[in-house]
Amino acid sequence: MNQRGYRAFSSIFLLTLFSALLLLSPAAAFAVQAQPPVQTEWWVWEIALFVFSFFLGIIAVIAGVGGGVLFVPIVSSFFPFHIDFVRGAGLLVALSGALSAGSPLLKKGLANLKLALSMALIASISSIAGAMVGLAMPENVVQLSLGATILGISVIMLLSKNSAYPEISEPDTLSKILHIYGIYYDEQLKKDVSWQIHRTPVGILLFIVIGFMAGMFGLGAGWANVPVFNLVLGAPLRVSVATSIFVLSINDTAAAWVYLHKGAVLPLIAVPSIAGMMIGTKIGARLLTKVHTRVVRKLVITLLAAAGLRALLKGFGI
Amino acid sequence: MKQELHANRVQLSYATVLFWTSTLGIIFIIVGYLTYVLQLLPSAVSPAEVALHWHLRAAELHKVVAVPSGWDWLTQLGRGDVISYASIVYLSSVTMFCLAVIIPAFVKEKDFIYTVLTLLQVTVLLFVAAGAFSGGH
Repeated sequence: MNQRGYRAFSSIFLLTLFSALLLLSPAAAFAVQAQPPVQTEWWVWEIALFVFSFFLGIIAVIAGVGGGVLFVPIVSSFFPFHIDFVRGAGLLVALSGALSAGSPLLKKGLANLKLALSMALIASISSIAGAMVGLAMPENVVQLSLGATILGISVIMLLSKNSAYPEISEPDTLSKILHIYGIYYDEQLKKDVSWQIHRTPVGILLFIVIGFMAGMFGLGAGWANVPVFNLVLGAPLRVSVATSIFVLSINDTAAAWVYLHKGAVLPLIAVPSIAGMMIGTKIGARLLTKVHTRVVRKLVITLLAAAGLRALLKGFGI
Repeated sequence: MKQELHANRVQLSYATVLFWTSTLGIIFIIVGYLTYVLQLLPSAVSPAEVALHWHLRAAELHKVVAVPSGWDWLTQLGRGDVISYASIVYLSSVTMFCLAVIIPAFVKEKDFIYTVLTLLQVTVLLFVAAGAFSGGH
C-alpha cells in the first residue's frame, strides 16, 4: 500500500472505530430505549464517556475542529444526560482545552493578549447573556436551535476558506488606538511575520453574536472566532487560531459560572469528558501527520451535520 | 510603528501564571474526581444516586438531590462530592487569577487603555462568579 493509500486507510479506520464505539456503547442502547438508564451501572457511563471523549479528542485535532462543538450535539444525542449538564460539561471541555493550550501560544507570541482582550470583554458579557437565555429556554427549543446552529456550523466548515497571510494595506483607527499589531516567528516561512488588523468595530460586533451562541449552547467557538480574526479582521491564520483559543478561555469562563450557579455542572459528567478529551487531543496531535486530515475533516463535518439533524428532530419531538 | 518582539512582558507574565494555575487545575480535578468516585471521603449524594437523576433538567435535579452548586458547598469542604465540585470551581477561576496578575503590569507600563479593559473584564467575571447574573429559572 502506498503512502497515500495508507493515510486514507488510517483515516477511515479511525472514523469507523469511532462510529462503532458510538453504536456499541451503552449510549446507543439508551438512545433506542429513550428511558433513564436504571439498569446500567453509573460507572459504565463514566467509562463510556471517558472513552468517547478520548476518541473525540483524537478526531477533533485531526479534523481541525474544536472538541466542544462536537461534544455537545453528539453526547446529548447518545448519552442519557440532560442537555443542561452536557452544555455545562461542553463549556468546561472547551475551557480546560483552552487553558492548557494558552500558555505556550502566548509565550511564542502566536496568541496576542491585546487582540484577545479587545474582543473578549464584550464577547464575555454576551456569553453570560447567552448562557442565561439558554438555561431558561424550554428543552425542545434548545434542541431545535442547537440543531439549526450545528447544521449552520457544518456548512460554514465545509465552505470556509482561510487566508494564511492576509494583506492589510492600512489598519483601522480603532486598532491603532488599541495598539493591536504584532510580530511572530513563522516556522513554515522560517522568518518573522508582522501583522496588523482592520475592520475592528465589525469584529467586535461579530464577537457579540459568537459569545452569545457559545454561552447558549456550551459550544467552544473556534469555528466562528477563527474566520472572524482571519477573514474579517485580517490577522494571519496562526495568530487567529491561537488568539481564538485565548478568547475562548475568557468567554467560556464567564458562561461556565452561569452554568455553575444554575447547578448545570456535574463533576460526574464534566471530569471524564475533560480528561478523555485532553488525552485524546495529545494523541491526535501525534497522529496528525499519519492520517489523511482532509478525509477525516469531511467525515467529521458529516458526523456533525448528522448530530445537528438529530438534535433538530429531537426538538420537533420526532 | 513600534512592533512588539514576539511576546511582551505582560503577555509573558500571563502565560507563566496560566501555565502553573491551569496545571494545578487539571491535577486538582482528577484528584477531586477520584476522591469522589472511589468514595475516599463521605459524600452527601453518592455517584449512583446522581446517576439516577442526571436525565432531569438541572433545576429539577437540584430539587431531588443535594449536589453542590454555585457557592453553597463552602461550609462542607470535607465531602468527596464537594471536593470534586470545588476543583471545577477552581478551574473556572483560573482566567480571573491570570487577568488579575496582569493589571499591575499594565499599570507599571502606564498602559491606561488595557489597565481599564482588564479591570472591566475582571469585574465582569467577578460579578458572574459571585452569582450576580443567575437569572433564568
